[in-house]
Amino acid sequence: MYILKDIEIRAREELFINIHPIQAGGRLTPEAMKALIAYGDGYSVCDWCREPFRLDKIKRPPIEEFHAELAKFVGMDEVRVVPGARRGFQAVVSSLVKPGDSVILSSLAHYTEFLAVEDAGAVAREVPLNRNNVITAEATAEKIEKVKKETGKLPALIMIDHFDYMLGNEHDVRGIAKVARDYGIPLLCNSAYSLGVMPVNGKEMGVDFLVGSGHKSFASPAPSGILACTKEWADKVFRTTQMVGDVTGRKFGIKEVEMLGCTLMGANIIAMMASFPAVKERVKRWDEELKKINYFLEEFLKIKGNKVLSEMPRKHTLTKVDTTQSFDLIARKHKRKGFFLSDELKERRIVGEFPGATKRWRLNTYGLTWKQIKYLSEAFQDIARKYGIEVTEKS
Amino acid sequence: MKESRRGEKAVEETFRALFALTDLRQIFRDTKPTYELDEEQRGKVKKILETVKESLKIIEKELLGDVHP
Repeated sequence: MYILKDIEIRAREELFINIHPIQAGGRLTPEAMKALIAYGDGYSVCDWCREPFRLDKIKRPPIEEFHAELAKFVGMDEVRVVPGARRGFQAVVSSLVKPGDSVILSSLAHYTEFLAVEDAGAVAREVPLNRNNVITAEATAEKIEKVKKETGKLPALIMIDHFDYMLGNEHDVRGIAKVARDYGIPLLCNSAYSLGVMPVNGKEMGVDFLVGSGHKSFASPAPSGILACTKEWADKVFRTTQMVGDVTGRKFGIKEVEMLGCTLMGANIIAMMASFPAVKERVKRWDEELKKINYFLEEFLKIKGNKVLSEMPRKHTLTKVDTTQSFDLIARKHKRKGFFLSDELKERRIVGEFPGATKRWRLNTYGLTWKQIKYLSEAFQDIARKYGIEVTEKS
Repeated sequence: MKESRRGEKAVEETFRALFALTDLRQIFRDTKPTYELDEEQRGKVKKILETVKESLKIIEKELLGDVHP
């Protein structure tokens, strides 16, 4: 079915179990889908925009109230919704970092963190992983000392991922926050893969900035994101314009410079708001999501040769696996090469693996029902048996 | 004024039907890929279909009532 002759409908969430590693937490709630139907027009949220003429101050629909509740939910003082986590990184880096400064990043940092640093003319310095692929407080402190020794000054900012996009491993944000405080360096926590799927509280973690992603973890359409901070940093990052037109003498009220005025508009902000009640509830069920991924992996590991590259037991549903010694052995001889696995999965109404990948690849089981988890587990074992790969009783 | 009111009802029922079908979309998502519905889900589907049918009737009456008495 098509919307136009060359724009097909997207029904994979209705037709397939989708194990795509980064799509799971951004699947819309029915309420968000209804918001898209009702608020799709460009300026749909601006009908009752009144003084002081800023999107986060609009009372009907209750966008201002949503901001206040969202700040409480993430355990921070101030919050803005932004067009993706990357715009949150950019706003903070642009406010705090000067050209030539150093910024500490994780070795598993998302590329947009690097770009935000580059955009500011600063230098990214990576903290290496430990042998469990985790960023520790000790390694962060060592890197700070190294930067200080090499440049003669402390880094201007530390950006650390709560859970990284590659392995879905948890990094020691609390420990790193203590290190950051000791050195007096502000800390930004990238919670793109945690805020909205599990309980996250910025102040409890001890961070100065918390950045989340609507389309990754808040059941919201792209682009959408969250930038939150403590009150100590609010005036700096959310500073208002002082600019005056030299010909017209125009001023621009309380528009915020880093937000370029109004923030996330239209259907996207309303969809976030519409998903919010469900998001508040679903984070309470995170333990159940972990039981499901760990159950799935237990079954997955019964397939001889399968490995899990992420830390175990899983603390996140996004997981990297290694099937070099199982499905890749089949792919090497199969006429469809690695695509045989995609074909077999699709035949069983499963999509979202990287097509053709049979060595190291990622998956995510977030939001699947137990029935779907069991179906998924059996599907992989069924494929293994079909190609003569041993499936043991114990993983 | 009367015509305007008639249009309003039809518009409201259009959204009601679309929202009900959106709930049906969620049931597809929850039950894929086998679509084996439990009793609760079957009940929800029945209610959705009734809502949509009712909305369509109202829309038809409001918009086409004059030409299809």
